[in-house]
Amino acid sequence: MSIRIAQVQKNPMRTILVRIQNIIGTQFVTALTILAYLFLFTPLIILIIYSFNASHSTAVWSGFSINWYGVLFKDRYIFNALRNSLIVAGSAALISTVLGTFAALVLVRRQFKGKAIFSTLMLSPLVLPEIVLGVAFLVFMVFLNIRLGYFSLIMAHIILTLPYSTLIVRASANGLDRALEEAAADLGADEVKVFRYITLPLLVSGIMAAFLLTFTISLDDFVMSMFTAGVGTTTLPLQIFSLLKVGITPEINALGTVLIIFNVALVLLIGGQQLRRVMGGAAA
Amino acid sequence: MSSLIAILRKRKSFQTFLFLSPSLVVVLIFLVIPMFIVLAYSFAGRDTYGRVVPGFTLDNYNSLFRPLYVPIFLNSFKIAFYTTLISLALAYPVAYFIAFRAKRFASVLLLLIIIPFWTNFLVRMSAWVVLLNRNGLINSLLQALNIINEPLRLLGTYGAVLVGLLYAFLPSAIFPIYASLESIDPSLLEAARDLGASPFRAFLKITLPLSLPGLIAAILFVFVPSIGVFVIPAILGGGKNILIGNLIVTLYLEFRNIPFGSAVSVVLLLFVMVGIAFYMRGLRAAEEMRS
Repeated sequence: MSIRIAQVQKNPMRTILVRIQNIIGTQFVTALTILAYLFLFTPLIILIIYSFNASHSTAVWSGFSINWYGVLFKDRYIFNALRNSLIVAGSAALISTVLGTFAALVLVRRQFKGKAIFSTLMLSPLVLPEIVLGVAFLVFMVFLNIRLGYFSLIMAHIILTLPYSTLIVRASANGLDRALEEAAADLGADEVKVFRYITLPLLVSGIMAAFLLTFTISLDDFVMSMFTAGVGTTTLPLQIFSLLKVGITPEINALGTVLIIFNVALVLLIGGQQLRRVMGGAAA
Repeated sequence: MSSLIAILRKRKSFQTFLFLSPSLVVVLIFLVIPMFIVLAYSFAGRDTYGRVVPGFTLDNYNSLFRPLYVPIFLNSFKIAFYTTLISLALAYPVAYFIAFRAKRFASVLLLLIIIPFWTNFLVRMSAWVVLLNRNGLINSLLQALNIINEPLRLLGTYGAVLVGLLYAFLPSAIFPIYASLESIDPSLLEAARDLGASPFRAFLKITLPLSLPGLIAAILFVFVPSIGVFVIPAILGGGKNILIGNLIVTLYLEFRNIPFGSAVSVVLLLFVMVGIAFYMRGLRAAEEMRS
């Protein structure tokens, strides 16, 4: 490669310049990539290590212990918060996915007045600052005199996740082969049957992905929940926040470790296929 | 049920309406109306008990220019700007590496980024508290190496907030840049090199312009959430480095000054909309450059 460049460019200064650029191009990019991965993973690894710290403070290492996991699993507040989070995330993801699926089908298949306005409105929570969404939701609940609780949390999370479920199902509906539906219709299936036996099964993977993503977003949400959770409906992120405010204990590290492991398992489950392909390639 | 199906068969527009109405109703009631209430409240007054008094006044917007609040806005802008800049500087090489160098390990590297991206936001921030604490790992390490004698104050600083923001939004910058780099036709780069362009020149003339849409999307994905951020300064900033997000929360939940809090929210919304308008323009410019 460098031989050819030297032939094309006679000027030796330029040749040196090009060589320096090449070194920067390759080494620099590699170095920054390694740096970025270290930056992304060091805190998580440290958190996991410190969750096994026997000491009461997070700072000083005083030996290996799984005590804090015992504390974590006996913590009623964490348990209740987790239960609340699962109730809210489950309901919000389910409703959001159903609404998103219907909206996506209409957006892909039909032309109607105000379509642009409708899709802009529906997708707007993607770019609007979450804090403003939360404030607006709280003001509205107070305005209507509705007590904060599961209802406000679930509705707020539906607003937050609806753009994601709509976008994902829309993407899979866009890639759907219309010929399959037409063939079914030609064979005498009515519209309801076509939808039930052709369209829906073809969309299943998209709908599942939408559910999974909206569930994760809802489970992870803090800002919207801070404004919309009531007494007794504290979600897990809110509980972690209040623990953090009191001062960090190894219990948070233990909880974080459990959540990270759950996460890695989920990623491996989804990405396992790709991983196997890579490993297969490496072996070959 | 059967009559409903009959109607469905007959009237397509009714079907469209039926499919659309649930999400439309939800969005109108729980998003559009609340937003308009916030807008209306931002012009309202307040009685001595802190209750909202309907009316029209610009007092709330005038208060924004008080010397107490101006720095908060400037600070938010500054930190969102730095976060975006550093995120891009780090995300671009990573995306480039995954797209062009990683070869068959590309999918593994991408999956690895998903792990911190999906890990609970609060957990990620508490990991940084462990690292940056007064007796935390970084201080212990520096002391053990005799670089410092007294533990440094790391938590509750501007730098800690910046690191937290970078940590939170770096993955959001990597994904769109990777997507646009990955879709570049490799034959374009081969052609450039065959014609004698150095790899660096080929990068400047082909790769960079073609990845602009991803770069612009990355700017949007990092800048918009950073400017309205609340949790990160609350945990890592130690309540000292106040940003717009913290101001809104304080005004609503602590001072119960809903009209002023609404005015700050409206202004934040305007900032974001200006950002999106720039994004649209940038995207159009990138499209034109390509053709």
